Amino acid sequence: MTAIDPDDHTVDELTAALETIDDADELQSVLEAERAGQDRATAREAIHRKLEEIAPASDAESDAVEGDTEPEGEDEETKADVDDDAERTDGDDAEADDAETEPGEEDGEDPGEDDVLSHPTRDKQHVRALEDGDYADMWIFCETQGGELLDVSREMLGKGRDLMDQFEADYGDQEAVVAFLMGDDCEALAEECIASGADVAVYHEDERLERFLHKPYTEIAAHMARGEGTVESTDWREYDEPRYILFPATNNGRDLSAKVQAELDSGLASDCSDLFIEESDVSNPVKTGEPGVKKTVEKVLHMKRPDFSGFEYSTILCLDNPNRDFHPQGCSVIPGSFDPMEPDADRDGLVVEHDMELADDWFRVGIAEHDRLEAGIDLTGHDVIVCLGRGIADAPTEGMELGLDLVDAFEDAALGITRGIVTSSYQFEGHVEAYSKEERQIGETGQVVAPDVYIAAGVSGAVQHKVGMDESDTIIAINTDPDARIRDFSDYFIHGDLFEVLPRLTEAIEAGETALEPEAVADGGEGDD
Amino acid sequence: MTDDHEHYEAVVVGCGPGGAAAAARLADHGVETLVLERGPEAGSKNVSGGLVYAEESAPYTLDDLFDGFREAATERPVTDYYIHNVAGNSVKTYDLTDLHEHDTDWCDSVLRRDMDSWLETRVHEKTSATGGGVLTNVRVNGLLRDHGEIVGVTCDELEPIEADLIVAADGVNSELARDAGLMDWAEPEEWFQGVKAVVDMAPDAIDDRFDIGPEEGAAHLFSGDLFEDVRGGGFLYTNADSLSIGTVFHLDSLVEQSAEPHELLDALLTHPLLAGWFKNEYHEREYAAKLVPDSKKVAHRRPYRDRLVLVGDAAGQMQAQGPIIKGMNHAVTAGALAADAFAITRGTADPAAAGRRYTTLLEDSGTMAKLRPRRYDLARTVGERDTVTNAVERVLASPIGSLAVGNPIADRLLQRAYNSPFLVSMLPDTKTGYISLPTLIAEEHGKTIHWESDIEPPTLEERIGDLTYDTDVGNPHIELRDESAAASGAAVTACPVSARDFGGGCYRSEAVTTNGTEETLVSLDTQPCVECGTCAIVADTEWEHPRGGKGVEYREG
Repeated sequence: MTAIDPDDHTVDELTAALETIDDADELQSVLEAERAGQDRATAREAIHRKLEEIAPASDAESDAVEGDTEPEGEDEETKADVDDDAERTDGDDAEADDAETEPGEEDGEDPGEDDVLSHPTRDKQHVRALEDGDYADMWIFCETQGGELLDVSREMLGKGRDLMDQFEADYGDQEAVVAFLMGDDCEALAEECIASGADVAVYHEDERLERFLHKPYTEIAAHMARGEGTVESTDWREYDEPRYILFPATNNGRDLSAKVQAELDSGLASDCSDLFIEESDVSNPVKTGEPGVKKTVEKVLHMKRPDFSGFEYSTILCLDNPNRDFHPQGCSVIPGSFDPMEPDADRDGLVVEHDMELADDWFRVGIAEHDRLEAGIDLTGHDVIVCLGRGIADAPTEGMELGLDLVDAFEDAALGITRGIVTSSYQFEGHVEAYSKEERQIGETGQVVAPDVYIAAGVSGAVQHKVGMDESDTIIAINTDPDARIRDFSDYFIHGDLFEVLPRLTEAIEAGETALEPEAVADGGEGDD
Repeated sequence: MTDDHEHYEAVVVGCGPGGAAAAARLADHGVETLVLERGPEAGSKNVSGGLVYAEESAPYTLDDLFDGFREAATERPVTDYYIHNVAGNSVKTYDLTDLHEHDTDWCDSVLRRDMDSWLETRVHEKTSATGGGVLTNVRVNGLLRDHGEIVGVTCDELEPIEADLIVAADGVNSELARDAGLMDWAEPEEWFQGVKAVVDMAPDAIDDRFDIGPEEGAAHLFSGDLFEDVRGGGFLYTNADSLSIGTVFHLDSLVEQSAEPHELLDALLTHPLLAGWFKNEYHEREYAAKLVPDSKKVAHRRPYRDRLVLVGDAAGQMQAQGPIIKGMNHAVTAGALAADAFAITRGTADPAAAGRRYTTLLEDSGTMAKLRPRRYDLARTVGERDTVTNAVERVLASPIGSLAVGNPIADRLLQRAYNSPFLVSMLPDTKTGYISLPTLIAEEHGKTIHWESDIEPPTLEERIGDLTYDTDVGNPHIELRDESAAASGAAVTACPVSARDFGGGCYRSEAVTTNGTEETLVSLDTQPCVECGTCAIVADTEWEHPRGGKGVEYREG
């Protein structure tokens, strides 16, 4: 029963007509008619607006439903941070809990009797859904690369340390920060994890684990978390699975976190930027088991993550069901979110070598070839920057060499270039070509530097370049053009050809003379301050 | 409807005068209209010399479509109109007010940022009343096709959008017109390139120095040997508190002479004739450049394909015939007619019905006749042939030429000739009309100017530095396909933000030694780009506009 057919109206007429309707169902049918008909975005908006207008009284329910279907395509169910209503929190992995979260008859049944379709984990051989299991400790996957811990690993250890110290203060229970890592040679890194805040570091060494591999890393992590393996390697713990688990939100960390949490039959909050532990009041009958009853759950890890490019934050909770546990409560952490603690080599801790047979089958997918991309050049933080501009045009390779010679003469200097060089067609010879790339560009569209001394050789001083070096303490310009714009914002201007001036500067600095005194450089032209 | 694309009855690409007129008129007809503008605000990408006309004979004018347009969005009405023929320091001035007033209801000077952003607000009001609106920072990058038929547009920032009518009002470098195969960038002789400086001047100083009242304005055109052998001219228009001063040249002539557009502009700015107006004060607010289609040659006679219609510069609708320079008014007419054509043919099964009707309306309204006068087509066939030009040139250089042009009767005739729209529209585009004749006129009839100009226009580097850019780092919108000097070297001089021996511009010429042989290569940095399109024609490039909101942002325009 539709009161109005939207096809008969322009959007304006429709908006006016909608004013007369106060019934949500009727509006819904108009909306459907519009969708089936012309499907005008503006018309749909008008109907939605009207729906919202009449909604507040009756619509809390459907709101909650919409809130659950996040457009992100993420597994977790989220809720807006502003609305801390625990009713709508439900941190379970959708993959694992579809069947479980349905309230009603099914709840009373043995999950094992569910049909396969409604229980997507049914066919998984490793699933050990626990009920009333024992959980303790915060586990942290410490990712390594090239034989070193990633910064984010230390950051998570630092945060884990804080969280578990507070945990002890709040609850009186001492639980550990457990670092777990794997690789071809990582015992020393396990020690480093202790120094960075872990109480226990569990590692698995195997030369085949030099690089991240999806399958073996997942198998080992799950094996470790469940406490499987020889008695010697597991007698330090007395629980079923970790209480909490953190992964880095790096490419490999994201990959591993999803797989491990699925193996452990728990959920995952991906890409989190803040964490805290406190109790949570729950009234969702799926979680409490009894409609209308409020229950307080202790020691809940609150995992905050930015949504919609950071316009909003959601807090994800991962809570047990009455007959099915969701542990470890896990997330991946955005690098840079937390501060590492100052490493303390004297910290006491237990380093445990994990013991497990790795099936050859897990290595069917291997790494045939790899290439390490340049991490990029950071020109900030140096005492001196030598920047070359298009003044090197006559002999680009030689100009670059002269610039590099001067850089080497200083204790802490780096070479920068202007955009004019990056975008030029200069043919640099192989040994200096790497210095002509965008990663060394200084200016508006490159890096912004503020060294003690900035030496601009053959740089005209376009505004876009100035932006990138204006804050330098002392600016020295070398240019054949006495009217070059850079002269306006240089402390010293050397009127001369960089091909002559640079070698003399280098020589003077190597000779230990204070080459930055005007008299030492004024020979190249006129000193101008 | 195919797929799940968003659909509007009409999509207008570009919110300049053509797009604004089309959108406003569509909204008047109750059509659901979405306007997509790639600038952060309408006008931020637009440049014009600065006069907008309302012709008595035109079916639509801006103040018909937008109430209060002249009060809110224009600078000054043009009440005085002159042309100066220059030979060295000798200048002969003709009053062209009669020509200017022919068929003119009104004519105002404008700055495009102010004007177009005002239009945008009105267009948004009108179009949102019929279910659409204006979206800025959205670049339409091509046409959406279904089984080869144009059905909508694709954008950098949004999902594809379908529409029953697509109005390409995306300017002289229209990517839609090129996508549809209706326009190209092939021939330099089909284009002009204009560069312009907006110069500060207090309102009372303008009134005083140009001898006009506060509600009056002056327009001055310049021709002659100011620019050596480059075919083109200059203009100066008074705004409320600034002057728009610019030069416009045939692009082929710029390329032939390897002339630097900014130097030609400087030649005008520093001419003694202008010193009397500047009084040695010169503060340039903005340097700008634009490509101008020569409607005589490129105004498309059937500017449509399927549901797509072209409007304004996108269709080559820019009338530049000697001292008659009219573009925006024709774009407005065309935009409004395209909207009317859609309203009339709405419901017709043939998707091209609107375009066909639009073509008919352009013809019937006389607009096409103004843009592509048949007289010109006839005159051009003889007039532009080199032999004829050379013959006429020789006559002018001879004593007979001086005698013919130099007698007092000839002077009166010349003034009449310049003031005749009929004769002016026949002026062929050769050296004779632009340089030789005006120079001779100035030599024979001119008064010598004894002022000296002390003003120093900014360098190109300073001009670029003063412009506002939002650079799309790592995503250049122009790619140089061939970096050899032969293919792309012309851009080094012709590009208005590049110059020989200047490393801070878009195009730089570089001597490169590879394996012992030295060759000259051209390199490109799109950061200083003002998006004029010159290099799309004179160099071998892959040319696109920057993404929405990126690139240069004009404050004056």
